[in-house]
Amino acid sequence: MFYIRIFFQYVAQYMKTRMQYRADLFVEIFSDLLFQAVNLIFILVVFGHTNLLGGWTRDEIIFIYGFFLVPYALFSSFFNIWDFNERYIVKGELDRILTRPIHSLFQIVLERMELESLFGAVTGIAVMFYAGNSLGLKLSWADPFLFLLFVLGGMLVYGGIFIMIACISFWADARTSIMPMMYNIGNYGRYPVDIYNSVIRFVLTWVLPFAFVGVYPAAFFLGKEEWFLYSFLTPVIGIVFFGISILIWNSGVKRYRGAGN
Amino acid sequence: MKDAITVRNLKKEFKAYSSRSGLKGAFRDLLTRNYKIVPAVNDISFNVKQGEMVGYIGENGAGKSTTIKMLTGILTPTSGGVIVNGMNPHRDREKFVSTIGVVFGQRSQLWWDIAVQESFRLLKKVYKVSDEQYESHMAHVIKTLDIEPLLDKPVRKLSLGQRMRCELAAALIHNPPLLFLDEPTIGLDVLVKLRIREFLKEINKKYNTTILLTTHDLTDIEALCERVVMLDDGKVIYDGALKSLKEKWGEGKEIEFQFLEEVELADLNKITASSEVKWEKDEKKAIFTAVVEDDDELISLLIAKVVAALKIKDINIKETSTEEIIRNIYDRGIS
Amino acid sequence: MDKYLEMIRIRFLMMLAYRTNYYTGILIYSINIGAYYFLWSAIYGEKDAIEGMSVIQMSTYVAVAWMARAFYFNNIDREMAAEIKEGKVAVELIRPYNYLGMKTMQGLGEGVFRLFFFSVPGMVIVSFIFPLQFSADLTTWLFFAVSILLSFFINTQINLLTGITTFFLFNNTGLIRAKRVVIDLFSGLLIPISFFPNWAQDILKYLPFQGISYVPSMIFTNSFSNNEAIQAIILQGVWVIILVIPIQILWVIAKKQLIIQGG
Repeated sequence: MFYIRIFFQYVAQYMKTRMQYRADLFVEIFSDLLFQAVNLIFILVVFGHTNLLGGWTRDEIIFIYGFFLVPYALFSSFFNIWDFNERYIVKGELDRILTRPIHSLFQIVLERMELESLFGAVTGIAVMFYAGNSLGLKLSWADPFLFLLFVLGGMLVYGGIFIMIACISFWADARTSIMPMMYNIGNYGRYPVDIYNSVIRFVLTWVLPFAFVGVYPAAFFLGKEEWFLYSFLTPVIGIVFFGISILIWNSGVKRYRGAGN
Repeated sequence: MKDAITVRNLKKEFKAYSSRSGLKGAFRDLLTRNYKIVPAVNDISFNVKQGEMVGYIGENGAGKSTTIKMLTGILTPTSGGVIVNGMNPHRDREKFVSTIGVVFGQRSQLWWDIAVQESFRLLKKVYKVSDEQYESHMAHVIKTLDIEPLLDKPVRKLSLGQRMRCELAAALIHNPPLLFLDEPTIGLDVLVKLRIREFLKEINKKYNTTILLTTHDLTDIEALCERVVMLDDGKVIYDGALKSLKEKWGEGKEIEFQFLEEVELADLNKITASSEVKWEKDEKKAIFTAVVEDDDELISLLIAKVVAALKIKDINIKETSTEEIIRNIYDRGIS
Repeated sequence: MDKYLEMIRIRFLMMLAYRTNYYTGILIYSINIGAYYFLWSAIYGEKDAIEGMSVIQMSTYVAVAWMARAFYFNNIDREMAAEIKEGKVAVELIRPYNYLGMKTMQGLGEGVFRLFFFSVPGMVIVSFIFPLQFSADLTTWLFFAVSILLSFFINTQINLLTGITTFFLFNNTGLIRAKRVVIDLFSGLLIPISFFPNWAQDILKYLPFQGISYVPSMIFTNSFSNNEAIQAIILQGVWVIILVIPIQILWVIAKKQLIIQGG
């Protein structure tokens, strides 16, 4: 309860700050849109040369991308920890965080949220409706609820992986380039995993389970029954990975050595 | 009275990596790296009672910050025990930090982009402070620190002195019984320093707040603390009253004379030949300084002798400053 | 010149100091190239060639495009933005060197490091796993070497431009991000330019972006004839020269602004 109240306090604060820099806000939303457009263009250009991608049609691929955008938007709104090492460890901001009576990771989530990224969810849903419409998909009563469940699962998968990577900073005093690369790898979950070879498919399912952010849950709505098991695993994998990441985080905080004096 | 802080055999070790020189060394570092274990805080123990104001001093790298960070729950000790406000700071961190206030002089606790009062409001929620508590307590804090006119300004627009006063207020929102101040007056001008000191004395008296203060500026300590804990190389080398530190290590008193007539050192030595005294002369300003033991009898005798023999323009009795004392201790080591 | 070489060396050493980068970098890089390889294999399906490129040429294209990216890619625009915001740039300006030149050299130091420690080993590993085709022709390698060097300069110049805009926009993180996205697409990193619809190709011909990734990758995969390669390299060179103009103009204005605002 307390955490929810605090969450809204921070949101209110965030809005006030952001409204001061409205121009930035527009540029940011614009660059997000541009990014999404580039990915759509990629799909469209590719399908200018082929009709099927590993047995999936253009509209199905677009639908998967649309779905992917929603958990991804939630993730980028609340888990801006890609610069955790520099901002919190090297500059010692974690000291400040640790002197406050709220869970340290939650404080970082609050401080670093970027709510304008939520706009991506709107784009994603629009893309899904467009693709779903051309595919003639029907919406059943349970779909919105499952959608929500899968989206949250996907967000937790992303969040969990990135928290674990941020935790590396507690053990190694090095700046890592893993973060930006991980963003790249995360994108592969947008494409049907059956186009990859078995090793990569395994990695994307069980090691860095990005497939649970895009193709697996989206397959459910596309009526691909052979993937249904994976679709329903989405929230489970999300909770497991996120849970593990919190445990690693907590033991990492114990190892924290403070900013170098 | 109960202890606010109990520290037993506290130890904190860091791994310090060293890199080899040159390109070749850098390649070797890829595979194995040299490191040694460096104790930042080495087996220290002390207690602080509720309501005490304690100065925690030492040179850079003596282990001050590391201790403060362990006392505030930021760092986990390598070994030893820390009990602060009856809790283990690191283990019970979230519960524990509600009972302390922390000011890091070089690091802002406030949100950079938003107005000061917005930060206060947010912190009020974070520390679960009720409206009544906030009103009765903070109204006073804001008035005493004179930050009323700053409240609607964003932090980034404040001067250092203004910001520091706001930081202090922010650390006190939940009226903690224990306050940690790490270099709170660094870079501040004298007026702001005085105001902050006055304020600290006041809250100490009003709420019996325990204050642990680290600083480079020993005048802070002299103004505030009766007790000092002194650290060198990760060890406590002195723990006790500031006064007895002075008595033990003070090198007597200095008496400065300025004369109306031309005087030579030899004359002075002759006049005071019967007393234990050392004369020094500052050539430029024509000031003569007598260094004597801190003994009232001796001093008045000396002055009487000089005054009887020579015409005097000015006399000034100086105590050896704490700063000098501490420098002496560090130079010579404690023995 | 010495001081610039020294800068390259220092940057190189700095990169070496971060060893976790080194271990994980190669692995992740291989995964990255691999995933694109599978994507393209699926796109090719049963087809022998698309737009005159075989699937092997395509996978080589993907691999070398990413390898080249590791060399030309840098964050000097973000670094500049940070330095400008923190007011450090004023200090840099009183130092006896050309700030922009120094930034370029830092980028080069970083690029050379990544070329040798990320891309080449990554490429070797990837070539064991996937069917790639390396040219046996020395001129191809020579053209490629010249071409990626020019890629580096074009990309760095664009970074300098976006970096300088910090003087005028103050918060340009959005712009920097947008630039990166645009370059990934329009430079041919994600898709060879020849795959685009004709109207898009016509527009891209007049932009500097294809000099960043498309040209060196096409040369490397032998998709260009020698004549085409020479023409493309000359065009790259022309862009390097053209881009100097807006940089110098903006830089002069920016410095004036800095003096007026007092850093």
